[in-house]
Amino acid sequence: MEREKGEKRLMTTQKEFIQDISTALGRPTPVSVDVFTVAPTTAEQDILKAVRQRSSGERQPFIKTLQEVSVPLHLDFHPERSLEDIRQAIITLILEKDPEWGTKKSVVRWDHPLLNSLNLEAAAELKDIPLYITNHVAATSSADDLQAQRQQTRKEVEASFIGITSADYCIAATATLAMKTRPGQARSVSLVPSIHVAVVEESRLLATLKELYTLLKWDEAEQAEGLTNNLSLISGPSKTGDIELVMVHGAHGPRELHLFVVSDHR
Amino acid sequence: MSTIAPEKYKENASKNIADPVLQKALSGLQERLGPATENLYNSLPEGHKMRTEAHQFRRKAIDNLDVLLSTLVDKVRGHGGIVHFAKTAEEAVEICKKIALDNDVKTVVKGKSMVTEEVGLNLALEKEGIEVYETDLGEYILQLSGEAPTHIVAPAIHKTRREVAELFTEKLGTPYTEDPPILTRYARKALREKFLKADMGISGCNLACAETGHIVTVSNEGNIRMSTTLPKIHVAFMGMERIVANLEEQQSILRLMSMGAAAQEIGGYVSYVGGPAEVDHGDGPQEFHLIIIDNGRSKILADPEFREMLCCIRCGACLNVCPVYGKIGGQAYGSPYCGPVGAVVTPLLFGINNSADLCAGETLCGACKQACPLEINLPRMLLALRSKLSEGDPDWDVQPKSKGENLIFASWQRFNSNRKVYDLLLGLMRVLQHLLPAKQGMISRLPWPLSGWTANRNMKKLAPKTFMQQWREKKEKKGS
Repeated sequence: MEREKGEKRLMTTQKEFIQDISTALGRPTPVSVDVFTVAPTTAEQDILKAVRQRSSGERQPFIKTLQEVSVPLHLDFHPERSLEDIRQAIITLILEKDPEWGTKKSVVRWDHPLLNSLNLEAAAELKDIPLYITNHVAATSSADDLQAQRQQTRKEVEASFIGITSADYCIAATATLAMKTRPGQARSVSLVPSIHVAVVEESRLLATLKELYTLLKWDEAEQAEGLTNNLSLISGPSKTGDIELVMVHGAHGPRELHLFVVSDHR
Repeated sequence: MSTIAPEKYKENASKNIADPVLQKALSGLQERLGPATENLYNSLPEGHKMRTEAHQFRRKAIDNLDVLLSTLVDKVRGHGGIVHFAKTAEEAVEICKKIALDNDVKTVVKGKSMVTEEVGLNLALEKEGIEVYETDLGEYILQLSGEAPTHIVAPAIHKTRREVAELFTEKLGTPYTEDPPILTRYARKALREKFLKADMGISGCNLACAETGHIVTVSNEGNIRMSTTLPKIHVAFMGMERIVANLEEQQSILRLMSMGAAAQEIGGYVSYVGGPAEVDHGDGPQEFHLIIIDNGRSKILADPEFREMLCCIRCGACLNVCPVYGKIGGQAYGSPYCGPVGAVVTPLLFGINNSADLCAGETLCGACKQACPLEINLPRMLLALRSKLSEGDPDWDVQPKSKGENLIFASWQRFNSNRKVYDLLLGLMRVLQHLLPAKQGMISRLPWPLSGWTANRNMKKLAPKTFMQQWREKKEKKGS
């Protein structure tokens, strides 16, 4: 028995693992090397400046770009721009679309200022349809409370056929939504319901992925928050070509993605 | 599921070449993806230099792998994640098994991950009575049919819609249909149940970012997001080379990877995972484990000839242009890594001797290097492997090829460098070649030891006159 114990393989430690790599690299230990960038390049400074100084007028071409790239991505880009029109369009979606699993309709959304201002809860047309909000879970709650609230959120998200979110940014060139994880903004809302509706402020539009990454990397507020433990970039609805390369939308994530951009002049 | 059996290369390749369904699937795939990727490269806003730069970013990361991994590990721990190190495949499997057993895991959902195939994870978990579900549609189809993948990105491309229809009817009990959207919906429904009940999600890692401390996963189906959002535990498997230093470098590599993999500007879902869900967040896994795997990679790292191979991000772009892969398909390579990338990686990871046919089978035409988003020089490494096979290399435990073959080539070299001997042999061959069996003016069978050359092809006969003779005669005619 003792021998068996002795023979049992010990797990590799970080030190051994890294040491082997250093040895393979021909150096005894990790040397301090200058691999991490600490200041933006001139080009990156220019991008930051351009994004910060961009006027509403300069963002208008992004709307057209979004319209164009939405088509091949199979993304539903909606023309409504005012909060009231968007509210009405979302109500219509909720009423007209059919649930994929079962027959009962319910909707789940983030607790987010822009979505709160849509005030869907007050819509008389939706009075028979439960509208869940992924509320804040207070960090100070007891472990049991936290668990119970998570289970509640999970149940509501699973039951909902439409999930409504906003996004940190929307990239015009690729119709990409960038979302960090935050309290009140459950990430499954953009994933589990069959239809994902995203509402973003026009001021959150960016031209390219390069602009997004430059902001994530060098913008002070972004740096302070970090990427968070989950940052998702979403470009269009879920899709697959795994059967004879035939493109099918709705593999495991949402089958439809509806995008609304709220005008700055509202 | 893939088993590692590169020694069956010739046998499987012959079988695949004779399979008309596979041939159609492969040519369809190459016709669509190869040119589409090239078009994207040609319209890069940053121009062609973007690929050269991206190669340098990867090379810098590999050359400083110890520093980058240490940084990543510290950051992930800071985010509340748990990091494990696995020197070998067995160790990686043990670590994952232990996490599963400690947490009483019953059902696992998996996002597509090459490295879990490499270490043979599924079988080990299933032996413990744990249900494991592949959730990428292509991988799911193969799991149901018990087959090996044909392509890195489109694993089940060899299955016709009819075969999938029969498979689903048999295994899932769904009504028979050959309509891909309906078939996809059947799989969506079957796997949704698994996603919702699974207590562990397993993913790979496309490319980690050291400075922020995140792993990144990319998918189009959303299956990886499901696997890493819904179950209470997320375990990520990462080959130790899948890392880059900075966000801005990662941006360019991820975009190029999406172009190489599926001719997209960016994958449909790109997720940065830094750790478990924070306490006040409404969902996400409660535990995040990162298993960093060596399994032969530090040996590749130590060899300057092959270190470049660690820059590879397994996008599969080289498969979509390779004339050899386009005929023999992925299963012939007998490894999770197929095509030109497989012809280099499989020998390096699983032994050069038993993968000898893989590197000999490629043509060295250079298409793979042109298609690689990172311009990795695969032909150079294929040649280096062939040279090791010929000369032998104790460091890689390669036995030199037969003395006979070396002797033949040595004599060939001597004859070739002596004009008189060469001409004499040429004259002799011109006469003797008429004694050999021929078909339509071509030699159909050479005698041993040259018979291998004509096993699968005919050989052109020697011309009555050499170019030099013809040249001289033409010149003389002009002169007269």
